Amino acid sequence: MVVYSFYIFDRHTECIYSRRWNPRPASSSSKASRPQSDIIANSGEPAPPQRKGLSREDDAKLIFGAIFSLRKLVQRLGGEDNHFLSYRTGEYKLHYYETPTRMKFVMVTDTKSNNLRVALHQIWANLYVEYVVKNPLSPIEHAGGVGVANELFEQGLERFVATVLA
Amino acid sequence: MVVFSLLIINKAGGLVYSREFHAGLAKLSSNDLLILAGTFHGVHAITRSLVPDAVRPVQPSTSISASTSTSGVNSTSAPAFPVRPSGLEVLESSHFRLTCFQTLTGTKFLLLTEPAQPNVDVVLKKIYELYADYVMKNPFYTVEMPIRCQKFDTGLDAFVRVRG
Repeated sequence: MVVYSFYIFDRHTECIYSRRWNPRPASSSSKASRPQSDIIANSGEPAPPQRKGLSREDDAKLIFGAIFSLRKLVQRLGGEDNHFLSYRTGEYKLHYYETPTRMKFVMVTDTKSNNLRVALHQIWANLYVEYVVKNPLSPIEHAGGVGVANELFEQGLERFVATVLA
Repeated sequence: MVVFSLLIINKAGGLVYSREFHAGLAKLSSNDLLILAGTFHGVHAITRSLVPDAVRPVQPSTSISASTSTSGVNSTSAPAFPVRPSGLEVLESSHFRLTCFQTLTGTKFLLLTEPAQPNVDVVLKKIYELYADYVMKNPFYTVEMPIRCQKFDTGLDAFVRVRG
């Protein structure tokens, strides 16, 4: 299974953490020079050339818009207790998990993966709660992503994606 | 097999047909259905632009210029059909599954089924055939307008209900 990216949105609709993985370096030389991943808080580089006018922040906003609308659509059709789980296109699959506190965890993978709701729940319970919520130095609200991208959380996420989701 | 309902959205995002086969999902007014169709149309466009770079389809214009760079005039005069990201195809929720089939002309067929429904794409292909036979070949039908064709209704009933 290939994981392309991972996002966390807080209850104020803000993207507080985002991470991308480039699983296989593309054959074209223009893509090979791109960095392996980055965090929204310190992304200063310009967007990749083939994405016209779309930065990473824009991507996060688009993803939030899509899941927000789909969540509403699913609730309207199936009732209040109906949860939006995932969607798949011809190219990728997007998994969604929402905590009781309205934090939204999103993971984009290849199309062949099964539902990752359990994995996203584990990331929330074992990594986010342990390393971000229980961190005494971390603020309560992570405006601008402050406090989320700490070393332990990033290492844990890296290890989780490399071992559990490999 | 439970097929809850079928929606057909034209290429501008307007709802042209909606039909409920089995009760089970919330009853929506025609106004709500129109909003839903418009929302889905927008989200579908967003999901097409969110494709990760690693799997983004290579545009034929670049591949043609790379492979047949010598015959530049021919490649520009005969443009290949553009390869576009497909957009949302399957939406899973805990109560139902939504499968979207988009034709080459941009019309979208949405089928709402049980989460464990097999062979939805076969059902959608057959519905597309019925649409081609009874709607598009109907001389009194105006394209992009709401579908009111009795033969299409009965054909759908015969197909979906018999399989059910």
